[in-house]
Amino acid sequence: MFSLIFRGLATGSIYSLTAVGIVLILSTTNVMNFAQGDVGMFLTYIAFLFIARNVPPYLTLPVVVVAGILLGVVLDRGLMIRARRSSHLGMVMITLALTMILEGIVATFFGTIPLYFPPIAQGDPLIIGNVIMDRQNILTIGVALLIFLILFIILYRTKIGIAARSIADDEYGATILGVPINRITTFIWALSFGIAGIAGLMTAPRLSLEPSFMIVVQLKAFIAAVLGGMGSITGAIFGGLILGVLENFIAYYIPSIKESFSLILVVVVLLFLPNGIFGRREARRA
Amino acid sequence: MLRIIDLVSGYGPIDVLHDINIDFKDASVVSVLGANGAGKSTLLKTISHVVKPRKGSIIFDGVDITHFEPSQIAKNGIAHVPEGRHIFPNLTVKDNLLVGGYFRSKKENEESMDFVFSLFPVLKERVNQQAGTLSGGEAQMLAIGRGLMAKPKLLLLDEPSLGLAPKIVSEIFHVIRTLADKTGLKVLLVEQNARKALDISDYAYILVLGHIALHGNPEDLKENEEVKKLYLGGKYV
Repeated sequence: MFSLIFRGLATGSIYSLTAVGIVLILSTTNVMNFAQGDVGMFLTYIAFLFIARNVPPYLTLPVVVVAGILLGVVLDRGLMIRARRSSHLGMVMITLALTMILEGIVATFFGTIPLYFPPIAQGDPLIIGNVIMDRQNILTIGVALLIFLILFIILYRTKIGIAARSIADDEYGATILGVPINRITTFIWALSFGIAGIAGLMTAPRLSLEPSFMIVVQLKAFIAAVLGGMGSITGAIFGGLILGVLENFIAYYIPSIKESFSLILVVVVLLFLPNGIFGRREARRA
Repeated sequence: MLRIIDLVSGYGPIDVLHDINIDFKDASVVSVLGANGAGKSTLLKTISHVVKPRKGSIIFDGVDITHFEPSQIAKNGIAHVPEGRHIFPNLTVKDNLLVGGYFRSKKENEESMDFVFSLFPVLKERVNQQAGTLSGGEAQMLAIGRGLMAKPKLLLLDEPSLGLAPKIVSEIFHVIRTLADKTGLKVLLVEQNARKALDISDYAYILVLGHIALHGNPEDLKENEEVKKLYLGGKYV
């Protein structure tokens, strides 16, 4: 029972990490980023290059974060800022194109054969009472919690984070106060892609490395974001964790609907709670 | 101070403002009055460059700011309190104020925040409350306070009386006049509530369909038959 919850939380952490990245971008730039998962995939292949040269796996964590930040800056400065002036749909299409480009690059250089990606935390599982805890899962949950903590400090305690939230609330209001919108959206893309890298790195050891390995995670993260209300970081975090745990229970007790469960869930949630489980906790006077 | 010369501005194919000339000279509070659609808000938006000027120039403290970006305008000492307030509902009162002081240091922001709280004590009581839960009057005070956080030389105020009870409007207008007298802040006030605006202004312009139709001292404008009829409640005055 507790082992199931624990494994669910580990899977959920990955969904949450990816969902948070999607929601960050969506709420500040109104762009649905379809490439969040594949950016993580691409960055994980970069980490693989290092691992293939016998760099210890844990050292690839900073590598993917830095590479993700760079990729985010380049994408926003190079393409998004220009596209923002002409068409909003164009920006969404760029993210779709990005999934194909990244998958194409990876397939060209590494092929489509699944590659083995070593766990970052190796060793035997920890057993406490009757709960069996895989070390990689412990690491995943720990890293996710740390990232969420850092994210909350950035968004609620730093000037640039507060400004980012103000743009999400009322972009016109922020513009008129002279908040440099472009600089802050670049920061958000960078932050979000950095997180994408971590999500990829946490996912790869549980599956295997292939160009499409993050597509399922992207889909689940999208569902997690919908569960959480599609605009709230807290919602995305809990949405991901809840989805991970529920999915694990379903896989154990009703394995036949394991794959379709999350899709059924999203339909039910949208039917009965269109604002997500947590609603849009927008502060408004009644 | 602020000088606007032959300004033309608008949206898409339509010019909204035609050859606007405004000069602050020594006035502290200047108001621009006019009916709906006269172009009052467009004028303020053009000054803060949310709407791009088409012709003419805007000179502020001797610097040509006509083609500055909104963030440069803000850095140069012009704060815009927009129509409809546009406060950030999910941010706390404190965070709203901090966004207003985006370009300033932590210490400067602390000082400005104390200053804003001294003007509007109710904001201090609500400092950690989400701004979306404020009443209309409190929200307007927050919007003005947020503008003041940048320690501007010029405050652009767009319809601060919109949707507020007369008592609160008087209170807010009183604060604005006091600010102008005590701190030397210049205010460009856009209003439909002509009477109250004239009461606190040193000079006023009347905007009709994007043209300046009249300008003068408030006392003279109040006596003008046409102004009386159109903006001050007609023959019932």
